[in-house]
Parts: sequence; structure tokens; C-alpha cells
Amino acid sequence: MNETALQAVAVHKRYRLGRQEIPVLRGVDLAVARGETVALLGASGAGKSTLLHVLGLLDAPSAGEIRFDGRRVDDLPVRERAALRHRHVGFVFQFYHLIPELTALQNVLLAQMMAISPLAYWRVRKQARADAEAMLERVGLQDRLRHRPTELSGGERQRVAIARALMASPQALLADEPTGNLDSHTAAGVCELLFDIQRQRGLALLLVTHDEGLARRCHRTVRMKDGVVER
Amino acid sequence: MYRLFLALRYLLTRPINVLGMAGITISVWALVVVVSLFSGFLQVVESHVHAASADVVVGDLPAWSDWRKVEAALRDDPNVAGVAPRLLHFGILSRPGHRPPTPPLPGRSALHGGDQPFLFVQGVEPVAETEVTGFAGWLADPAIPSELRCESAPLAPAAAGPTVLVGLDRMRRDGLRRGDRVLLTTAQLRGDGKGGKTPVKVQLDLVVGGAFKTAHSGFDGNTVFVAASLLRTAMFPDQPDWAPEAAVRVRDAATLDATAERLQRAVIAVVERDGHGFGTAQTWRQRNAQFLESIAHQRGLMQLVLVIIMVVAAFLMLATLSMMVTEKVSDIGILTAMGGTPRGVASVFLACGIVITGCGVVAGLALGVVTGVYLEEVRRAVRWTTGIDLFPIDVYNLDRVPCAIEPMWLAQVAGMALAVGILVSFLPAWRAARHDPLVSLRGL
Repeated sequence: MNETALQAVAVHKRYRLGRQEIPVLRGVDLAVARGETVALLGASGAGKSTLLHVLGLLDAPSAGEIRFDGRRVDDLPVRERAALRHRHVGFVFQFYHLIPELTALQNVLLAQMMAISPLAYWRVRKQARADAEAMLERVGLQDRLRHRPTELSGGERQRVAIARALMASPQALLADEPTGNLDSHTAAGVCELLFDIQRQRGLALLLVTHDEGLARRCHRTVRMKDGVVER
Repeated sequence: MYRLFLALRYLLTRPINVLGMAGITISVWALVVVVSLFSGFLQVVESHVHAASADVVVGDLPAWSDWRKVEAALRDDPNVAGVAPRLLHFGILSRPGHRPPTPPLPGRSALHGGDQPFLFVQGVEPVAETEVTGFAGWLADPAIPSELRCESAPLAPAAAGPTVLVGLDRMRRDGLRRGDRVLLTTAQLRGDGKGGKTPVKVQLDLVVGGAFKTAHSGFDGNTVFVAASLLRTAMFPDQPDWAPEAAVRVRDAATLDATAERLQRAVIAVVERDGHGFGTAQTWRQRNAQFLESIAHQRGLMQLVLVIIMVVAAFLMLATLSMMVTEKVSDIGILTAMGGTPRGVASVFLACGIVITGCGVVAGLALGVVTGVYLEEVRRAVRWTTGIDLFPIDVYNLDRVPCAIEPMWLAQVAGMALAVGILVSFLPAWRAARHDPLVSLRGL
């Protein structure tokens, strides 16, 4: 658990609203090591989701640095940042964000297709399909491969989202209130799955949540207030 | 890979995209069919006009020119296969005691000059004329019924008088029969004894020798043939060695323009006075340039109109693609989170546009070619079901609706449609690329 997978160093993030600049993150330092689970707690508007997005290279910091495996990555060109995002980080969101036109299997396979040409995919298509099926089996959806998101329950959708996030074998998993849209029973099942996979794969897991109980299951809890990590 | 995969999934799950595709298909189909129809029509008209013309006509020969010298100079050219003299005049043909029927000729329009009463009277030497045009074939056309067909040697005087050959349609319209007496009324300028000239009415009593029929109905409707000797005696008695026009047939039609240029130089050399050469050599195409160009011009205008329709159809695709981008902004966030770039996201929607355009173009070309090949059958089917004749072939003296499918035009249409489709797809794709993925992920 010593190797740092993700790190934010003195990260600031400001948004411009007309002429006004609104600071959202104000000098945040945070490191998540491989195999470590970190819960990020805080009131709405504290900057949790913004920090998650900045850490996952979905958004650029206004100041400060983002490091993957100790290497600064926030200043890389767009294309390289996208490739790193694909290889290094998996995202799980509160609202699943599955593509409604695709079946569960296709949603998971899509992650395989992101960084590969049609020709290259054609060569590995059978293996990719087998991997996606195995991943869905791992999250307990072996019987729901050909179901569209609208035909799945909330818990099942989140399981598909988890399978999709893990498909590119990332080193870090960033989950933004993954159980926020689920009932407590379903949420417990999804959490169990998430922690189980994290342990199995030795992933760095950063979990944004309002749920104190869920936070207690993590190795570490970080609280944010007004864009600053509370000490 | 995800770009193509997602693009196809988006397209397959949204039937509204068929609208955009249908727009492209219809515009491509219309461009192929209409332009092929015009091209075919132009080819047919050209062949009809050529069939009723000599390859080269040397005209504007002055009254003092010597036909024997002109003929010798023309025959000297290695590419000349035959030369025939022609005397030209005009007149009105009527049956004695009958009121002339009201123009136009049946099935003729102003396009063919069918509604004007004057006729071109050509004085020809039948044997020589047969050398330079399809004159013998015009008299033996299977469409001419036996009772109207010329029986004796063409333009040989009948017992009742000199003969005239009349176009088949005019014969029918005027109710003429072989052997009927007709009156050719014309005018001649004669000296008034005071140094001036005054027109004098001339009437020739003629006997209908038979009908002729070329493929060019405008020519048939407006021309009658009489013997050159008759016209010369009646109209040009003072110029026994003059022919105002020489009709020429060439051996190799591929070098027609070059031959016409040589003949032009040759005739200028022999018809020369005071250092100026006279006479004009023109190919059949040059003589009919205005008529042929008018059809080509109409084809050009149709092309322009249909290309504009294609652009309008592309806007339909723009509307459906824009709608799709608006619906799919929620996917942009997750695609970015999975490692997509703005350019990659744009490519998904661009690929949609390209697939729609590509399918529309292929379908439009295929439908266009099939419709073109079976255009006559389509015309008959439409006439049978609705009673509407989309292309009345009788008007143009055709057996079937003409159609010439040119591969180069197909390639141009495909290229234009693809270019317009891709260009139009850029706008929604660009909008998708500019969309902030975080807005989608936050569900704002």
C-alpha cells in the first residue's frame, strides 16, 4: 500500500461565472496508494466531485499538479490525458451513465473499444467478448448480458457500470456516490462488490460519499469543506 | 473502434435518421435520372439531326461562283466521299381549291417550327444527294405506307408535271396522296427596269411524288424536295452554273472538324474575288449548334436546380443529426471518462453523417440506374396507373424514353453528395466536440 497511484498536489480549481471567479478547490493535497480505499466526505458544494474529476483528468486544475504513479500528468496534451484516463482510471457515477442503445455486454465491450482501431478490434474480438462476459459474470450479471439498461434494475445498472470501469484494468477506481441512487439493500450489495473487487485487484479506490457507514469501511476518510481538505 | 460501433448503434436505433438518408437518396436519384434522361435526349436529338443532315455543308456561295470549280475543289480533299449541289428557296404548299390547314403539324411544337407556314424548298439532284445523305433511305422508311411511297425514280417528272417530295407528317396532315396536284407559291426578286428590284409572285404546279421520313421531325415538317433543275429554271434562270450550297459526306467522321477547316480553305481559294474568299464550311453540329446547345443548356439548368435540392436534403440530415447530438449529450460525458477525446466524440457523429450520406448515395445511385434503365417501362406504368404521360415520346419522334447513364456523371453525383453530406455533418459533430463532458456527468 506504499505506492501512490493518484496524487493531487496543491490543487486549485476556479470556475469563471461571468466576471466572477468562484474558487472550488483551494490548495488540495491528497494521495491514494495502490490497494488503499479512501472515502471523501463533505457537504454538497465542498468540492468532492470536482476533486474527483480533476484527479481523473476529466478536468484540468487551475493550479497545482496531478500525478499518476508519481509522474505529473495534468500538463500532458489532450490525447495523452485521454489515453491515461482510459488505462489508469475507472469511473463509477451515481447515475450509472450507461448508453441506452447498447446491451449490458455492449456497454462493457465499449470500454475495450475505446483505444483500439476497428482492425485491431476485429483481431481480438472473441477474446474481448469473452473478457466482457467474464467481467459481467464477476459482477453477477451472467444472465443479463443482452439486456438494455432500461431492462435492468438500478443495482444491476450500477454493476454494469462497475464492470465497464474495470474492463481496461485500471489502477485506480474513482466512484462518485455509487450508491446514492440505490435503496439500502441494493447499495449494500453494490458496496460489497466494489470492495471485493478492489481487494482482489489491489486497486486504489477513492469514494465520494455522504454515507458515514460506507466511509467507515474504507482505510481512510478525508473530509472536505469549502474546497479544502480538513485536517 | 468505438466511433464506428456507436455511430452504427445510434443510427440503427433511431429510425428518424432514415429521413436524412431518404433526402440524400431522392436527390441523388433525381440527379441521376433527370440528367441521364437529358443526356439520352441530347444524344437522340443529335443523331436525328445528323441523320437529316450532310456531314459538312458549304454554304453562302455567291451567285457568280462556278459550281464545277467548287465541286472539284471539295472532291480534292482526301476525306471527302461525296459532294452534292443544293438549291434553296422557300414557299407555301397548297392544294388547288383547298384552304391550307391550320398549323401546327400533328404532334409538333414550336420546337420543330411546326407552327409556321413557310417551307424550305430544297432543289436536289437525287443521285448526288444519295451520296451525301440518307436520301434513298428517307424515301424507303418503313413508316411510309405504300400509297404514299415514291414509286418511280425520285423527283423524276410525272406525266402531269414535275414532282415534289413531301414529309410524311405533312402529307398526313394535309391529306395529300401520291399523284395529287399541289401549288408551290413563292416569290422572286426581279429587276423593275429602274435599277431596283421588286418581288414577283411565282407559282409552280407540282405533282406529289411521294413521302419522305427522316428521324428529325422538324426537318420533315418544314422541308420539301424538288429537282434542282426545276428550281434553277424557275427561280435562278440567270445562274445556270450556280449552287448556293454544297452538301458533303466524309469518309472518316472522327476528323470531321479538321476536314471542315480544310474545306473552308479550299472553297475560299476557288470562290475568290478582289482578294476576298467566299463560302462557309460548317459541320452538321455547327449548323445546328444553337438548337443542340439549347438542350444542353436546359440540362445544365436542371443539374443546378437538382444540386440545390441536394443541398436542401443535406439540411434535413443536419436537422436529424443535430437532434441526435442534443439527445446524446449525456453519453458524451461517459465517453470522455472512458478515454474519449473531443475529436473522438466528434468522430462518432461525423461517422453517423458519413454512414447516412454513404447509404443515401449508394441507394440513390442504384435506384437512379435501375430507373434509368427501365425509364420507358416506368413511363408506361405511370401512364397506365394515373393517365399522366410524363414524357410524351410522340412529340419527339421517339420509340422509347431516351436515357444515357454516364459513369462520369454518376461519379460526380456521388462525389458531390458525399462532399455535401460530410460538410453538413461537421456542424453537429463540432457541437458535440465542444460540449463540456462534466455537464453531462453532473446531470446538469
